[in-house]
Amino acid sequence: MSHWITRNVRRLAWMSAATLTVLIAGPAAAQGQELKPADIEFRTSYGEMRFPEKYPDGTSISITQWSHFVPKYDEWFAEYAQEWGKAHNVKVTVNHINLSDLPASLAASISAGDGPTLVEMNAAPSAFIEGLQPLDDVNAAAEATFGKIAETCRHSSYLPTKEMWYGYCHGWVPDPGVYRTDLWQQAGYPNGPETYDDLLDGGAKIFQKTGLPVAVGLSPELDSEFYARALIWSFGGSIQDEDGNVVFDSPETLAAVRYQKKLFDSAMTPQVFAWNPASNNQTYIAGQASYIQNSISFFRSAQDIGSQIANDTGFRPGLKGPGGEARMPSHVWFIYVMPAYVKDQNKITAAKNFLLDLSTNYSSASYYSKFYNFPAFPKQVPQLFQDGGWLDKDPWGSEPADKLAIFKTAEDWTVWLGYPGYANPAIGEVYQTHVLTTMMADVARGTKTPEQAVRDADKQIRAIFAKWRKRGFVGGSD
Amino acid sequence: MNSSTIAPVEHAREEGLLARLGRALDRPQVLVWLMLGPAVLYIIAFVGFPFILAIALSLSDATIGDPSLDRYVGLANFAAVMRQDAFWIALRNSLLITAASIGLLLVLATAASELLVYSFRGKRLFQVLFILPWAMPVSLAAIAWLWLLDSQFSPVDWVLVQLGLLGPGSPLGPFSHLYYLGRPWLGIASLVVADVWRMLPLATIIVLAARLSIPEERFQQARIDGAGFFRILFRITIPALRPMLIVAILFTSLLIIGEMGMVEILTRGAPGHATQVLPYWAYLKGIQSGSLGQGAAIALFLFPFLLVAAVLALRAAYRSPEA
Repeated sequence: MSHWITRNVRRLAWMSAATLTVLIAGPAAAQGQELKPADIEFRTSYGEMRFPEKYPDGTSISITQWSHFVPKYDEWFAEYAQEWGKAHNVKVTVNHINLSDLPASLAASISAGDGPTLVEMNAAPSAFIEGLQPLDDVNAAAEATFGKIAETCRHSSYLPTKEMWYGYCHGWVPDPGVYRTDLWQQAGYPNGPETYDDLLDGGAKIFQKTGLPVAVGLSPELDSEFYARALIWSFGGSIQDEDGNVVFDSPETLAAVRYQKKLFDSAMTPQVFAWNPASNNQTYIAGQASYIQNSISFFRSAQDIGSQIANDTGFRPGLKGPGGEARMPSHVWFIYVMPAYVKDQNKITAAKNFLLDLSTNYSSASYYSKFYNFPAFPKQVPQLFQDGGWLDKDPWGSEPADKLAIFKTAEDWTVWLGYPGYANPAIGEVYQTHVLTTMMADVARGTKTPEQAVRDADKQIRAIFAKWRKRGFVGGSD
Repeated sequence: MNSSTIAPVEHAREEGLLARLGRALDRPQVLVWLMLGPAVLYIIAFVGFPFILAIALSLSDATIGDPSLDRYVGLANFAAVMRQDAFWIALRNSLLITAASIGLLLVLATAASELLVYSFRGKRLFQVLFILPWAMPVSLAAIAWLWLLDSQFSPVDWVLVQLGLLGPGSPLGPFSHLYYLGRPWLGIASLVVADVWRMLPLATIIVLAARLSIPEERFQQARIDGAGFFRILFRITIPALRPMLIVAILFTSLLIIGEMGMVEILTRGAPGHATQVLPYWAYLKGIQSGSLGQGAAIALFLFPFLLVAAVLALRAAYRSPEA
């Protein structure tokens, strides 16, 4: 009897414990299933590259990089850099500057022959190549360790005409279409626009009914430049071919420009002509736009301030052009370069070690950027892409939680400045001097016909390509 | 006191190190260089050297990654720059914005100096507020104007809408915004207004200094003779102010024509290149795009205009009977 009692008391105790475990630890267990970044790990070996565990006393590296659009990333990076420095006996200094000041800052450092050990650029800095150290060894070691690099990163950090990796691209950012779910549903597009024709038709309906325009920029700034390229690529046009020949003045480009004129006349306002990179975000968050093209940083800002707009936002991969092609550019890249003036061997080795370790720990980089940063080496962040992973179930509070799921295919529809060729200095100058946005704006304003605007832009592009080709930076012959 | 007691004292003063140094420094040919030296060094280091470097860069194929001057290309950069439509628009706008700003500044600075001559309640507070735009960093001032003229949140537009001047069926158009920075001439006008707002304190201080130096008796005499405000203004005040007005024109025009911060923050040269100016175009070509040679060539195009303007202005100032 006592045995029976003891056995049943024990059973009861086990059952109670099990019930308590389910009740108390159940949610925690479920929370435990929430994917977290991998533990921070520092390695001493990547491919054929070997690094010391500790560097000699006095070793230091300084990093200048752009202030991230998601502030949490900068907070994480500051801590990570210090942790890395402490582990390796290296003093690490991180200096943040505005993204638009990067070229001037790097130019000044190269000219002075002194400055930071690493500079993180937001777009392919191929024009600086003569003032930079080759990072072929780092890129080879990374591919040997992490697998194939994303094409958008390869084309933005390697220059085939010089056969040189001038940068180390650790990440990139998708640039989706962004639409107001409520407005587009009412316009008869419950999933938002899927093609540029949808954008024209639905955008015009919404504009006529509500006065809220399609807010794609036609201004000399980053977002507008990317929109112009996405449109032209999706219509089948491009600035150059794979070899670096200029192929801009084509029926496809002309069709894209004509389309833009129609879109402006039907669904846009002149506000888009003098926007800065923040303008379309502000307009959208203020509820004054039906569609924009932008990365998710604005969405995170809207979430942070508790805006209803965040819930009413849907994302689209690239809109399809007449041929069914959809191409979007990366919004920005994270490309570290090491200027040639860095001569100290300990600094150089430590900096390369830092770069490779950053890719090792990229699940943290991606996570703390709230998935703004996509990894150059996708295998390093399986949590992001796997079924039920971060993009399927956003731990940063998207409603619904799978709002970002379309980004799982982002690499398929994302290309780069210079597509289908490489991002060379001529492509950089066309981008920085706003040839395409000026062309689009001239047509939208009616100061040029589409034919004339494309012809004029082609002339400018050819002059720019000829100049850089003469210096051996651009391939092709036309 | 005889000479034998005085002589040793004089001898000591003459032979002392400080005395000899003092005498040496007192020599005119030394003193002139001592006084001018710092200014000359400053001009050589911060004006002369960069200017010569800019000329050298404009004649070279230097890039941002390789700023060395060893690839001489002659005038190729100037020729390439002159083939760009954006360059001619930028040149036109630089001259236009400067001229329009100077015209407005002359009127407003003269009016403000007339006001500030007199005592009135709250004058000190007014003076402090008046000087603020000049004390404010260009970027901060530009950001303030950016918000004032914003395409969505402009308070100016809001006031116009409330007054019934803007919006559907109103005199200024159907939209509830004027899109100041998105329209060519409104964009240029916005840049002029922002430049005038920022430069007015400097121009006024220069003109006010001259205004205060005009003897009050001349005004009293004119009033006794029955001259009114405008007659005094055009017959006495402005002729007397002329040399300093020329100085004000020179200073402010040099500051405005070489300024790119306002354009960079307000319009970035848009729409298209409609509000482009030479300094910003030089920056885009030379620094952002990597073509240092072309950037330098664009920047140097301003030099002849500035030189001619400076020479004419200084000659006019020296010839002025009031100078």
